Amino acid sequence: MYNSYPLIIILVLFISAFAIPLFKSIKMARIIGISAAGISLVLSILTLIGVKANGAYYFRVGHFDAPWGIEFHIGIIEGLMGVLFMTVSMAVLWFSIYSIDHDLSKKKVPLFYTLVNLLVGSLLGIVFSDDLFNCFVFIEISSIASCGIVVVKDKKENIKAALKYLILSSLGSGLVLMGIALVYSLTGHLNMAHIHEALVSIYPEHSRNMLIAIGLFTVGLGVKSAMFPLHTWLPDAHTYAPASSSALLSALVLKAYVILYIKIIHRVFGMSIVGDLPVLNIVLLLGAVGMIAGSVLAILQKNLKRMVAYSSVAQMGYVFFGIGLGTTMGLAAAIFQIFNHAFTKSALFLSAGSILEKTGKKNISDLKGIGKEMPFTMAIFTIGGMSLVGIPLLSGFNSKWNFAVAVIEAHRVELLAVVLISSLLNALYYFPVIINGYFGEESLEGKVYRNTERPLKELLPIIVLVLGVIYFGVSGGGLLSLIEAGIPALN
Amino acid sequence: MNNIQREAERSDILTEVGKLIIPFIQVFAVYVIFNGHLSPGGGFAGGTILGASMILHRLIFGWDNLISRLTYERVMKWMCASLLIYGALKGYSFLTGGMHWEVWDIPLGTPGKLLSGGFILPLNIAVGIIVSITVYVFFKLFYEGTI
Repeated sequence: MYNSYPLIIILVLFISAFAIPLFKSIKMARIIGISAAGISLVLSILTLIGVKANGAYYFRVGHFDAPWGIEFHIGIIEGLMGVLFMTVSMAVLWFSIYSIDHDLSKKKVPLFYTLVNLLVGSLLGIVFSDDLFNCFVFIEISSIASCGIVVVKDKKENIKAALKYLILSSLGSGLVLMGIALVYSLTGHLNMAHIHEALVSIYPEHSRNMLIAIGLFTVGLGVKSAMFPLHTWLPDAHTYAPASSSALLSALVLKAYVILYIKIIHRVFGMSIVGDLPVLNIVLLLGAVGMIAGSVLAILQKNLKRMVAYSSVAQMGYVFFGIGLGTTMGLAAAIFQIFNHAFTKSALFLSAGSILEKTGKKNISDLKGIGKEMPFTMAIFTIGGMSLVGIPLLSGFNSKWNFAVAVIEAHRVELLAVVLISSLLNALYYFPVIINGYFGEESLEGKVYRNTERPLKELLPIIVLVLGVIYFGVSGGGLLSLIEAGIPALN
Repeated sequence: MNNIQREAERSDILTEVGKLIIPFIQVFAVYVIFNGHLSPGGGFAGGTILGASMILHRLIFGWDNLISRLTYERVMKWMCASLLIYGALKGYSFLTGGMHWEVWDIPLGTPGKLLSGGFILPLNIAVGIIVSITVYVFFKLFYEGTI
């Protein structure tokens, strides 16, 4: 019975998205939006339990079998991603109850919930679908919806950021479409498993074409998931969007395209072909450069949300670094990093958004003594920042540990330096904010304790995310072994 | 400003030809939508024709006519209702097909008759409504600057 749940999740999210505009009230929009996300969360957990017990499976969507019809492929990785996406979006939707009115005009609030449900539904579609063209359709839906949640706040800079994002992400989807067209003309299939069979048999005489196709996929999906030199849209979009939108964009939107990229490398082409081509080395290089350059750019920022946004570039660098290693452990570390970053960065964006909302201060230099005024929000920010720096008992440490193990296992010890330098650079921009927030005689002077703090009730959703960060930090082994068990099903 | 000036210069020829031609366009649009499963055309093609007739009506007769009742809220309600119907029908079909359930389907009817083709006819009608409204709303957005 559980095998139809992924389809039901997507249907529930899409149908509820269009039920919201039928009611005018904000309350109804919240009830529909959040209950749809809740149903999807329960169904995704049940799917994961089923997949864990019985292994990966294909689900035929509609009445036609594989080469003609569309299929979903649900393994442990896809199941885990479903749970991750729904947990984070549930927390963000919960937080948005308290904060979204501040950013948006009353008329736009139902539209926000429509867009979020559309976005999460399409991202899950990208993760679940086993059909390349179907993935492309979901990519287009998610592009529009993610630009929508940036521009829904009707300010000048939002429109500018959203246009930049729209142009670059259309370029990305265009390249992906060209890649799909090339693969389709080579093989005559759109279903990933069938493409793989056909590609393996024609590989020797078409290796150039395959290099072009995989290059198109790499650049196209790289633009969308902020691979280092292609990340230019990200800081603007993440800085100016409302706090809930930036959390969703950073935690989920970037990740779905990476999962599709992993599926293209491992399911469509397969390691036997990709291993022959130089693509993974380039991805590894760009990931390593991104890990360092993203952090350096973050150090230079004066705006808090912009700094957190540049930190996303560095963290996505880790993911591409893991994929580029080309080993099972590297891939597992990359997927673990997806979890780590989704929880940590959504908590960071929500707490940074809270600080901005309550104090109106954007710049880091104005935030001295904020730890006294908003002690709990700042504590959440601190835990998030420490996790990304790699302090033990937080998920970021486990993630970096996994990368270190993967690098050593791959016999490329020199890359260990990149991981370490990147961690230290993270410390350089997170710690000043934290230290200036909590300590220093002159910065604490004249600040009233809990002056601008949110009520604890409104912080609960972020606390749930932080508990996730601590949970994966204390017992990350369970998740890692689950990911490792799921990786063979990707091939 | 420019738009209002243009509306003031509305000519009699335009009005009379519009009165004559718009009903035919709309009947043809409905024909294309309802025969999508029998002949070339369908929801998308018929929807654009219907949307074009609405745009023509708006250009010729201006804002003070029947079309003024199509407010943004109202067309959005129609569009969302159509999308819901589309999602529910297609989702039902996807789900029953994927689960191999032998349950009730829309009867197929005799091939070649208007009422045949199972899900295609209701889906075409929903698509027709969605596309016509989208075309009209886009026009309104670019012509008047607001929706």
